[in-house]
Amino acid sequence: MNSRKKALCVALWLACLLGTTYAVCNQSNSSQAERDLWNQHGCWQAFFLWQYLAYDARASNWSNRGFFDACNVNLEYPKHWNASYLLTYKLNDNNDQSFHGTVDYRATAEAASSNFHNGFFHLAIDDNSVYGAFQPPDQLQTSCPLYDNATPTANNNPASRAGDFMHEGWHAWMRKYNWNNGSCGGHRCSGCSFGSCDYFYFHGISQYVFGAMWENNGTASRFHSPNQVQVEFLCDVADQSSAPASVKTAARADANARSAARFINGPGYRCGDPRPW
Amino acid sequence: MSQITKLADQRLQLVLVAIALLMFVTGCPRKPTAGPDAKPPSANEPAGPPPSAILAGRKLHNPPALTATGGDASRAVAAFIDWAGASLPEEHEDGRKALEAARGNKDVVKAFADEITRAQRTDHSRALLALALLGELRSPDAEQFLRDFVNQPFPTEGHKTTEGEIIEQTALGTLQAKAIDGLAYLNSPSANEEVLSQVSKHPSIIVRSEAISAYLWNQKDKEAARRTLLQRVLKGEERYIDQITRVEGERAGSFNPKLEAYLKAHPEVVPPAPEYEKERRQEPSNDRNLNPGNPPKY
Repeated sequence: MNSRKKALCVALWLACLLGTTYAVCNQSNSSQAERDLWNQHGCWQAFFLWQYLAYDARASNWSNRGFFDACNVNLEYPKHWNASYLLTYKLNDNNDQSFHGTVDYRATAEAASSNFHNGFFHLAIDDNSVYGAFQPPDQLQTSCPLYDNATPTANNNPASRAGDFMHEGWHAWMRKYNWNNGSCGGHRCSGCSFGSCDYFYFHGISQYVFGAMWENNGTASRFHSPNQVQVEFLCDVADQSSAPASVKTAARADANARSAARFINGPGYRCGDPRPW
Repeated sequence: MSQITKLADQRLQLVLVAIALLMFVTGCPRKPTAGPDAKPPSANEPAGPPPSAILAGRKLHNPPALTATGGDASRAVAAFIDWAGASLPEEHEDGRKALEAARGNKDVVKAFADEITRAQRTDHSRALLALALLGELRSPDAEQFLRDFVNQPFPTEGHKTTEGEIIEQTALGTLQAKAIDGLAYLNSPSANEEVLSQVSKHPSIIVRSEAISAYLWNQKDKEAARRTLLQRVLKGEERYIDQITRVEGERAGSFNPKLEAYLKAHPEVVPPAPEYEKERRQEPSNDRNLNPGNPPKY
């Protein structure tokens, strides 16, 4: 047997070992923002029994992440449904003040096929090099920096996690309608602080009736990019929600950081005045 | 003899490749099953009351006192941060009043600083919240801590995402932006100078942008503040001085004219028309029709 074939066998075997033993993200604790929101519902079982269907969260993907220990706030699946709880119930939906309504944010995040995207399912991945990803045709992936208190991340809170549902869900919207937002992971490769940038398509409040966020007119006057949808959602959590203060504070920080750094024609909107608290 | 060895060797190769392929197929992470997974999620605890009952049982407008001194101040501040994090929008002013009343308490300032230092290593959301509360305290005794915090070395290495973001930079940048808010709110000559220096010198646009907004918001004479900022801001970042802000509770009637004026003043921010992919795809809906119905009512 020649050495190349031996090397192939060894490589395949090692790949298998890595695939089967790759550790899940650190699931030993949770952030204050996580717990503050959690304590508002105290682990509402009726909700997660709805959420796993609405988000198509499957036992085969989440079983080692708290799918069968769904009231343990340190684990990933409970954190996932905690973020869903935030976006399902906590927004004020004030048509004269909010950028968009719960109906828009839910349709973006939930699994079912609609005007917002084709059907997808949610799964967690173990990867510190992304917050999340939309993997065509049907995987909405979220990763360690959105869950893990051991990673030095600003985003392991329910607002940022739900914000990523928006971001990845909007990539699915772009895919459904064949929009090309750039070749760097679905973004433009330059023009902002990172190698992954969007345009901000400015629009006023009440320009979209609730439920119409998916609409566009083929021009820059009525369109959204993934980072923009994320910023608008986070702004609505920060300024237009009944979430606990730690969640609103985290949402505002994430929105403003993203607004400052992620747009070619930035900054995008700023959320809230700069009074400290 | 060599023919026999060669045949045996070939058979061994085939067996090894077959075993490896089998292990690859069975052992590697698989694409999730297409059909519905049979089991719903479950918990080890019995079901509790619905959120409406939990929220109804919460005692509102009852922040812990911030009057303790000495060693007791640490416990009081920890309890206050716990309360503030969980507080609801209608309790916001209660927290502000409690902080205002504690402004002269140096032990409280020190306890906040200790709590921030601890939480920075373990819980970003708590560190952010505690920095917000210390800034809201508006105590001159907090200035040095906030200045030191803003000047913590900015990491140049760490967990780098595929998008080129270093996660540690964003984590520290958002905290330093909150410390900037506290310095600008102090509005002392030295604190203002620190804020203005960060407008141009901080390596992160997250912090530079916050320094611009916070300085402007805290100055009574907005035109003078704008002139000052124009002298300090980095070339190409002048637009950040005019950034559109939606403040809490702001209505369309107030926000939309501001946006219109901004777009008129900065026509360069209007993006080009979005583009279609060159090849149009037509994909199936992938819908599993799980029919979850409406989410449960509170």
